[in-house]
Parts: sequence; C-alpha cells; structure tokens
Amino acid sequence: MKTEIVAMLLAGGQGSRLKSLTYNIAKPAIPFGGKYRIIDFPLSNCMHSEIHTVGVLTQYQPHVLHNYIGLGTPWDLDRRNGGVTMLTPYAAMSGIRWYDGTANAIYQNIKFLMGHDPEYVIILSGDHIYKMDYGMMLDFHKEQQADATISVIEVPWEETNRFGIMNTDENMNITEFVEKPKDAKSNLASMGVYIFNWQKLKDYLIMDNENEDSSHDFGHDIIPLMLGKGEKLVAYPYKGYWKDVGTVESLWEANMDLLNPDSGLNLHDSAWRIFSSNPQLPPQVITETGYVQESFINEGCVIEGRITKSVVFQDVYVKEGAIIEDCVIMSGVVVGNGAKLSRAIVPPSFNVPDNFEIDNPEGGIILLTDEIVEKWKGSGEHAFDGNR
Amino acid sequence: MRLMAIVDAAVRMPGLEDLTMYRSTASVPFAGRYRLIDFTLSNVVNSGISSVGIFPTNPFVSLLDHVGMGKSWDLDRRKDGLFLLPPSQLTGGHMSVGAFAVMEEHRAFITKSRRQYVVITNCYTVSQIKYHKMLQAHIESGVDITEAVSGDISLKSYIMSRELLMELVDVYKEKRIISVEDLVNLKKKPYTYGRYEYEGYLAVIDSVQSYFHESMALLDVERWGELFLHECPIFTKVKDEPPTRYLKGSLVKRALLANGGTIEGSVTESILGRAVMVRKNAKVDHCIIMQKCVIGEGCDLSYVIADKDVHIESGVVLHGTKENPVVLRKGERVLKEEVG
Repeated sequence: MKTEIVAMLLAGGQGSRLKSLTYNIAKPAIPFGGKYRIIDFPLSNCMHSEIHTVGVLTQYQPHVLHNYIGLGTPWDLDRRNGGVTMLTPYAAMSGIRWYDGTANAIYQNIKFLMGHDPEYVIILSGDHIYKMDYGMMLDFHKEQQADATISVIEVPWEETNRFGIMNTDENMNITEFVEKPKDAKSNLASMGVYIFNWQKLKDYLIMDNENEDSSHDFGHDIIPLMLGKGEKLVAYPYKGYWKDVGTVESLWEANMDLLNPDSGLNLHDSAWRIFSSNPQLPPQVITETGYVQESFINEGCVIEGRITKSVVFQDVYVKEGAIIEDCVIMSGVVVGNGAKLSRAIVPPSFNVPDNFEIDNPEGGIILLTDEIVEKWKGSGEHAFDGNR
Repeated sequence: MRLMAIVDAAVRMPGLEDLTMYRSTASVPFAGRYRLIDFTLSNVVNSGISSVGIFPTNPFVSLLDHVGMGKSWDLDRRKDGLFLLPPSQLTGGHMSVGAFAVMEEHRAFITKSRRQYVVITNCYTVSQIKYHKMLQAHIESGVDITEAVSGDISLKSYIMSRELLMELVDVYKEKRIISVEDLVNLKKKPYTYGRYEYEGYLAVIDSVQSYFHESMALLDVERWGELFLHECPIFTKVKDEPPTRYLKGSLVKRALLANGGTIEGSVTESILGRAVMVRKNAKVDHCIIMQKCVIGEGCDLSYVIADKDVHIESGVVLHGTKENPVVLRKGERVLKEEVG
C-alpha cells in the first residue's frame, strides 16, 4: 500500500537555554515527567495518529537520541515498511553540508521523501510537550483542500511577542505570518506542526534552496514564500495542553503542570498513553520514615525522606531526613541525609551531599551543578543562596 | 554457554488455588509488577543462558500473553531463544518438577540442542540463583545430577548433562520415575547425586499463606535489596504505565508500589500492583492489591489479597488475618451490602 503521510521530526535542536542539561544531549532527549524524554510526545502522537513512517532529523549531540530511539520498538515503529529512520547530515558527491535551518534539513532529505513518495508530509518538532491527533489535522487539511496546514494555539495576548503569529481571515485562511510581533493582530501561535502536500512542498524547498538570502526556515521563509505565490494556507486550531520547554524555568513548570489536575496535561489517560523506553526496575519503596505528598514517583525509587510537590524519576534514593519540595529529581540521583532542596532541578545521576541546603525562598529555579555544590562546601556548608 | 534451560511452568500448587483459577502458578503476580515466572526467566538470562524451553500448562493464556516471544528477556532470537512447549493433552499440570512425559513429547527440543548441560527449574521458588556458578560446581563435583539447595530447603533446580537427560527420557517408564524431582528424591541407582549450596534471597510460594508472608517480607528494605540486585535485574513485560501519582491527603508508609497508580488514601504495610487506584479516605493496611484494582472512598481493608481488576465500592470494610487473608478473585465487584 502507498504511504499516505510521512512525518519528519526535527530533533537537532541544542536548546542552549537549558544550560548544563543539554551539554551532552539534544533538547528532544531531555528527561521529562518522571520517566519520559520530550521526544516521546511527538513519537507517541505519531503512533496514536497511525503515522508509521517517521524520519527523525538529528544534528546536535545525536548519540543519546539514536541509542534511545533504536529501532523504534517502544512506538511500534520497528516495521518492514516505513518505521523510523534516523536522518543525520551526510557527505555527498557535492560535498558535506550541515543542516542549516529547518527547511534546509528537510531539503537535504528530499531523496528520503521521494523514496516513500507520500501524498502528505507532516513536519514536527521534538521540542514540545503536547498530545495531538495528527489524523484529525490531516482530515482538516483535506477538507479545506489546502496546500499547507499549520497547527495553531491561542496564547495569552501579552505573550504573543514570544511566538510566530498567524493572522487569518474568518475561514482560518492564513493571510500573514509574523515572527514575534510587537503589536500582534492575532493570538494564534504556530506550534511548529505543518502538513504539506508533498509535491508542493518539494517545489518550494527547491525554490528556497536556490535563494541565497534565505535562512531556510519554515516559519521565516517557506510560509511567506507560499503565501506570496497565492497558495492556500490554513490554520488548524488546536485546543489542549502545549508547551515549549525551552528554558530551565519552563521545563520545571511543565513538570509541575503534571501535579496540577487542572493543567490539562494528563499522563494517566490510558486512551492516549505516552510510550517510552522502559528500564527494568523494581517497584518503588516508601519506607517507615518516608512521606510523599502531591508528587509523581517512578519505579526503582527508595524514599526514606519527605517529598512534596515534586516529580521524581526512576532509580532515585532519597535518604532519611532529606526534605524535597517543588523539585524535579532526575534518574539515578541520590539525595543525602538531611539535605534540603526546593524549586530545583537535579540532573541525572547527581549526588546531593548530606545536609546540602538551598535557601531560595522567592528565587528562580535552580539547576543543580557541581559548581553549586563546590561553592556550598567552600562556604563552610551554609545554605546556598540561589539569588546570589 | 554450554547450558540450556527447561523451565517447568506446569507444576500444580493446590495451596495456591485461590490465585490460580484463571492462570497457572507461573503467572501469579508477585512483588507488585512481576509474575512468578519473571524471576526464573531473569535468573536464566542473567546466568548467560540463551536457549530456554518453557513447559506451560492450562490455563495458559495468561502465561502466553505475558511471556510472548520472550522480548522482555532478550530471548526473541533467530538462533536459539525461547521455546514454548505445551503438552499435547490439555491437562492441569503435574505435581513435581521436570515431568518426563512432557519432555518425551518435546524430545526434539532436547536432542537437537548443541548444549552440553541442562538446568531444569520451576517458577514457584523465587531466588537470585546463578546457574553458571551451579554448573561450575556440578562439573567440579563429577556427579551425575546436582540439586540446588539452601540449607534444608530445595530450590527444585537441577543440572545434569543433556546426554543423561535424553537417556532418562528413554528409560523413565521402565524405572518407574515420573520427574527429575522424583528421581532426585528417590536417589535411583546407578546415578550419583550432589548438592549445590545457594546463598541469597529465597522464597518458596506454595500456598496462599506463604504467598502472603513472602510478599509482606519484601517491605523490609533489606530483604527487598536481596531480591532486587542492581547487577541482576528482574525483567518483566513492560506496560508503559506513567509514574505513580500521590495526591493531596495521601499517606503512604512501608509500602511497595508499581507504576501507574493514583493514591489519595492511606496505604501502609502493603504491596500495590500497576495502575491501582486508592480513593480518598480509604485505608489499605497489610494488603496485596493487584493490577488495576480500584479501592473506593472510605474503604477500610486489612489482610486482603485483591486479585487483578477487583473493584471495591465506597465504604466497604473487610478484615482478614495474617494466617487467613481474605482473597478477592479476579474481576470481583465488592459492594457494601454484600459484606455486611
């Protein structure tokens, strides 16, 4: 059977505002929600949307991602036809070229797409947390007889200057795309999810590639180019939880959203499960001295201390007397006796020493690093002041 | 690896009947997220064995669904891997480990193997035994058949050469022995017998009482740590459950919890399987609550074993005792009036 739609998942982003969390891994590989990585969300969405051919485009620190995705088994992508293909920049007769912009990354994989020759291509980003049925978006795209459909979400008016904004007419036809506008005419932000008719997209990718002034970006170049040529571009209104976890603060917030029943992000929905690679770990143990309140705890944890309003990944050991509040504790962490942590993200396999303390009443979110611990030791082990 | 394994998952345990109405002993849930067979299969693969035959018994749907092609144990191999060897007659299993009648039916599995030795084991003794160490002891001792023991308790695991096993399959009727366990107990001549002393975690699950006792014993973190060794993980079928969420007002102490749960009430001295829901003001004490059970608001339970998918309505009070825990069968709906 002919492949109707192929997903191209852009997973090459560095996410430099996530600081030390992305020194060694790409942003889509960042751990989230007690057991997941961000890329689990678009991959699980593909699975639920019955998209069985997925190209994952990687560039920055790809090894963890490649190893993690493997044959794509957790997402039922280990298939004879289609399945998952990791697409990295490569050398060709014409030379070696890095992916230079989102559109260029797809342009360089035109041959991969031509091999599948689908009707439609859906472009996804590996940086966002959301649950979405791309099948419904594809139905909308077909009904509208559009050349391209862009998924949009309403954002608060005061935040429109952080997003790519779509101006539309009353029929959701896109009239204009404005990147981070100061005076927005609409509050419909692009979610970075695009469906194109493949033949159309191919023509525009080739056209864009020939333009030396182009930054080869979908939002910045391809969409305005298509609008300029009078193509039919429609906005698909998405309602639901969607979050770009681009910073330490937003990563922390998205984790905290899991603990809030009204946030709209529910991972306990068995109808739209998020699939992930599952490590084989024993059940979690809460001991006699343990205390857990309003939190997520994953397998393999041994909890002897007190945990409130926190997300705790697998294989974490919280020793007696430790107090953890409003924290994200990633996998393999040991929190020492009597340590006190609040409003912090503790990166994977980190050792929080006994009696370590963060004094951070109203400060921002602290991403724990070796330097912070060293400083604390140097200061005679007084509470580390996160505001300084 | 010179060793192959036969996992006899068809041994009947009359004392466990309350939990084996719909499944064989091998697929009885244990320690929150496992089935008994997981411990045996994990020991097999953690010992470097990659050729495994399983003897399942009726009702085996649950076991087949759980084990599948053996992917979770890395046994879905093109070469060797996992073989399910069901009996040709739909029997309810047999009473001792390593029944020759079943081996006779599946003689080809044994004769075709290139392995020099066979370990014959079962699913109801839970341990962290390393069969490659046992094999080494077996070879050094020079005996025909080695039995694993821990003090006075037998692990009902045996090593012998594949050649000897084939011989036994030929002569078992004439020698009037029915199984490897039987042979070792009778110490039939001319064979020689040895013992391999195993040290480490051991639980024999042969009755509801021992099941309850050994489950509760895991709440002791030290004992938990003897069974769950970092270097020898216990593998099971993965379920993609999200982490367990503890809501406001929950109180959890001395408890073992699998993923996917939602806890709003109080859970003490208990073991919870995957995706269990404990609603507001419910009290669960000294209980084993299996996968997907729902404990309604304000329930008060102690010494209860709730099998999979049990729904207990709000306000139900149920108390068993340490010696006689109340067992609720798979899928039961417990209403307030019924308990009275």
